[in-house]
Amino acid sequence: MGYVAVKGGTEAIEASLKRLTYERLRGREVIEIKTIQSTMRGLIDQVMSEASLYEPNLAALAIKQAEGSMEEAVFLLRAHRSTLPRLYYSQTVETDRMFVERRISASFKDIPGGQLLGATSDYTHRLLDFQLIHETKEAIEQWLTDYEQERSPKLPSKNLIYFSKVVDYLREEGLFTEHEVDNTPPDDITKKSLEFPASRSERLQTLTRGQTGAVTSLGYASLRGYGQVHPTVGEVRVGMVPIYVAPPNETTEDQENDYYIGEVKITEVESFVPVTKNYNQQENDLEFEIGYGICFGQNETKAIAMSILDQCLEHPEASFPTHDEEFVLLHIDSVESTGFISHLKLPHYVTFQSKLDSVRGVKQEVRKNAK
Amino acid sequence: MVTWRQVTMNLEGGRGMMNRRRRTEILIQGNSDLAREFAEHIMEHYPYREVMSPRYGLTMIKMRETAKNSLFHLGEVLVTEAKVEIKQQIGIGIVIGMKEELAKHLAIIDSAFKANLKETKEWEERLLEEEESILTEKIKKQTELLETRVQFETMDM
Repeated sequence: MGYVAVKGGTEAIEASLKRLTYERLRGREVIEIKTIQSTMRGLIDQVMSEASLYEPNLAALAIKQAEGSMEEAVFLLRAHRSTLPRLYYSQTVETDRMFVERRISASFKDIPGGQLLGATSDYTHRLLDFQLIHETKEAIEQWLTDYEQERSPKLPSKNLIYFSKVVDYLREEGLFTEHEVDNTPPDDITKKSLEFPASRSERLQTLTRGQTGAVTSLGYASLRGYGQVHPTVGEVRVGMVPIYVAPPNETTEDQENDYYIGEVKITEVESFVPVTKNYNQQENDLEFEIGYGICFGQNETKAIAMSILDQCLEHPEASFPTHDEEFVLLHIDSVESTGFISHLKLPHYVTFQSKLDSVRGVKQEVRKNAK
Repeated sequence: MVTWRQVTMNLEGGRGMMNRRRRTEILIQGNSDLAREFAEHIMEHYPYREVMSPRYGLTMIKMRETAKNSLFHLGEVLVTEAKVEIKQQIGIGIVIGMKEELAKHLAIIDSAFKANLKETKEWEERLLEEEESILTEKIKKQTELLETRVQFETMDM
């Protein structure tokens, strides 16, 4: 049989787009961008992290336009990002200058400054709160007024605390290897496609913008035995980090001349992983290595899972899929994975007809031989 | 034995140099009325040229990770940038988010400092006051957060 090329569907597509708008509007309710931004913190953080673009307003707009579909919202934000010029690279951000809002350690009970729970759902009962169905603006105002009054009006100290890293103390004690400051300019996966073996900077950039579900699943797989990493969380911290850029067209390297441009919220994790090292070819020493996880916004599960995968990928010698950088890095990006999966529903008439032809041919052959 | 220490910043931090880093921290973290007031004063009293109207763009965040001490790119943040010229000095305003007005005001203030206008000396006191107010607010917020600090008790078994 011959193949017939077809075209068409323009009118159907236009009608379909109209139908999509109808589905979004038929409830006759308007959701404000401000409402999404004020009430959907977790969703916004996830969209920004997976899109690799920090802008809460646009993330809220993407969520509205996508009717809450994560993959669509991430796609929209990533596409928008590609329309904007890159004006600057920041000065190196060091997280010891973070304004910490939450900070916990699973390795030490007592850490300097203490364990700060901040705002977390970790200790909630996970029972649906049916009172929220009837929540009113007045009730919100009342709750906030009561909360303000509960707070102590006095400042207990004149000091603002910048919490040191738990890992720094362990390094001082010689329990962890002290790595020299490495100022090798990092690679950028948005400028040059991944090639293998990937550099550490490419691995971290790919992991931090990975889809939350995919990163979590692969991290979990490693814990369950499809990998060799089972860490103890040294520190999870959530907070705001300041961003600075160097003045363009000025020769000075004095950082006091930098522009402060604002701050972004991040989650950062250091996981401690015991490893056996053989130094004298006789004795096996037990040491700790660190897995590093980080992402935009507050998304602790993703950051912890990333720290596991970071450590896995540092040890490619292990024969598990979670230690294979090609397997991990090429399958965790939201736009790439959802894009490729969903392309399967687009017309494949020609390729499928070709497959049908092959099957018909084989069947015919079988029938002929059977006679 | 592990020894713990922590870095602090206090309200008696002193006056020091009002360099660009410190100035932009105050103008962006503080009340945006301050930047508006400074910029409007300059616009009223000096001729200025808008070299670049506020535009949106990206800044790639470069980070140091704490496992191997190496550098990598965390992702991009949307910024608004503006450029203004006063007395042959081009000032730049850059701020995270979609903030056209603030970016322009920051550019005017930046060029005012570059051109060494006399007003910039008069601003110092206001900037220091705002800085103290920002720090007080931060300490207040931190005090509230410290209410969520865990007090462990060892149980008798």
